[in-house]
Amino acid sequence: MNAIAEKNSILRCEDIEVSYGAFKAVSNVSYDFKPGLLYGLIGPNGAGKTTLMNALSGRAKLSKGRVFLNDQEITGKSPHARTWAGLGRSFQITQIFAEMTVFENLRLAAQAHRFRLQPFWRPVGKFKEIANDAERVLSEIGLEGFGHVNAGSLSHGDQRALEIGLALLSEPKVLLLDEPLAGVGHDVVETAVELIRKVSQGRTVLLIEHNMDVVMEISDEIIVMLAGEVLASGEAETIKRDPRVRTAYLGEEE
Amino acid sequence: MNAQRFLALIVAIIISVPLLFPGGHNIGLVNAILIWSIFAIGFDLVFGIAGMLSFGHAAFFGVGAYTLSLLTMRMGWDFLPALGAAGVIGGALALVFSYFAIRVSGLFFALLTLALSQLIYIMAGTKLRMLTGGVDGIAGVPRPDLFGIDFYDDGNYYFFLLALFVLALLISGLIRISPLGQALKAIKSNEVRAEQIGFNVQRLQRSVFTISGIYAGVSGGLLASLIFYVGPQMLHWSTSGDVVIMVLLGGMGSLFGPILGVAIFEIMREWLSMQTSHWYGILGLVFIICTIGMPKGIAGLIIQLWDRIMPGGKS
Repeated sequence: MNAIAEKNSILRCEDIEVSYGAFKAVSNVSYDFKPGLLYGLIGPNGAGKTTLMNALSGRAKLSKGRVFLNDQEITGKSPHARTWAGLGRSFQITQIFAEMTVFENLRLAAQAHRFRLQPFWRPVGKFKEIANDAERVLSEIGLEGFGHVNAGSLSHGDQRALEIGLALLSEPKVLLLDEPLAGVGHDVVETAVELIRKVSQGRTVLLIEHNMDVVMEISDEIIVMLAGEVLASGEAETIKRDPRVRTAYLGEEE
Repeated sequence: MNAQRFLALIVAIIISVPLLFPGGHNIGLVNAILIWSIFAIGFDLVFGIAGMLSFGHAAFFGVGAYTLSLLTMRMGWDFLPALGAAGVIGGALALVFSYFAIRVSGLFFALLTLALSQLIYIMAGTKLRMLTGGVDGIAGVPRPDLFGIDFYDDGNYYFFLLALFVLALLISGLIRISPLGQALKAIKSNEVRAEQIGFNVQRLQRSVFTISGIYAGVSGGLLASLIFYVGPQMLHWSTSGDVVIMVLLGGMGSLFGPILGVAIFEIMREWLSMQTSHWYGILGLVFIICTIGMPKGIAGLIIQLWDRIMPGGKS
């Protein structure tokens, strides 16, 4: 194993493969994610972007390969164990506790992070520290004043922000964001992008996004996937000029 | 007063009937309501809070009953330690069940718990006949012998059951509003998200299933002592069905709902069974109409009506 690469990476996957029967959704993917960088993951529909994210976060079973977080092997660990190890994520289809209030949503994420064993001998309201955590993130994601609102009745854009807030409460070193701008109105895209920039401060972010302008603008490095494999990776300008990428992906857009 | 307090008042009135109308003939019925309520309150932690439909709770209930009976009658244990053991054994069996059943969810979970509990039922009637008395069961299960009080008098036994009922209600009420209860509600609401924010979903589900098994074991032991008898019928799947009906009828996921469900069920069992041998069929019909007409049970209906009548008193 490359010792230097190990030291420099916060998240590393080695030759990972996810297959469903004969179909390989992800194959031959090896990648070193460096601390503090924002990675844009792009590719046409069905390229395996979300499957790769599922493989990293423990929602998809690997048929081959290994995953390391902070040099600790996390292959085969359950999603909650990976969250404890420092890997947070949001989902393509909004996953929130819709019938609970925004504050209750965040407080749940705070208690999941604070307590390994959930206390049952005191009312949840008596634990001031988790309420404080929830309040802090509530303002971080720009939802002050919405704490008492039912999460399910928030606007779509605010629900996406809440999803990021839920992931933030686990204090992740690596944050996986699966299309956080999907379905977000044009008028609030700017706010959402600002939030992504803000949460990427001091942590590694892997971002799946179809809005090319946004990805190219905010990513430090772009990873292009095609048919389950990494086709190319590098800085935005390099990617834009790469003829393989133009043919396989950007070409289709035009 | 808000709707929750109104529900609490109704429950308080139901369980206080022997105090309000001393010398009546309702004491046996109220005692049964108290015991089945402990069972239903515990069951609702799994069903109403964590969202897991178990059809196996008869096993914990029945095993609790057998544990208390065997320990007091064959081993010479005192009543209270034997009752504690009934809870422990009920909880332990629930923990064992959970290791098999929590691997699957929804209908498969219900079917797997049903199959496991039927296994216990069949074993109690056949292979373990020496221990359980087979289909005849065990008669002569004792009641507590404490402070020189004659608990064989139903009126006195009422106070013993009332104390345990209040304790069971308080513990369940605390669990519901504790971080554990909130985590379980989160799992019911969105399991994927609950796991992703860091909840160990399976461990939490196993914990609540075990707690619920303790409730079932204790209530099973109490029922055996109330009727001085334990038989394999307590392990039968229809006992699991009864508690599901009670909780659905009363209102799943609410603290007082299951108790109302138990009260209605027990009153109907008492009265209807005197009128006709087809009482269970009539009860089924009432149950179907109720679940269609009021999906949140009687408690949900009362809350709805209360908020309509007193919009200012909304909680």
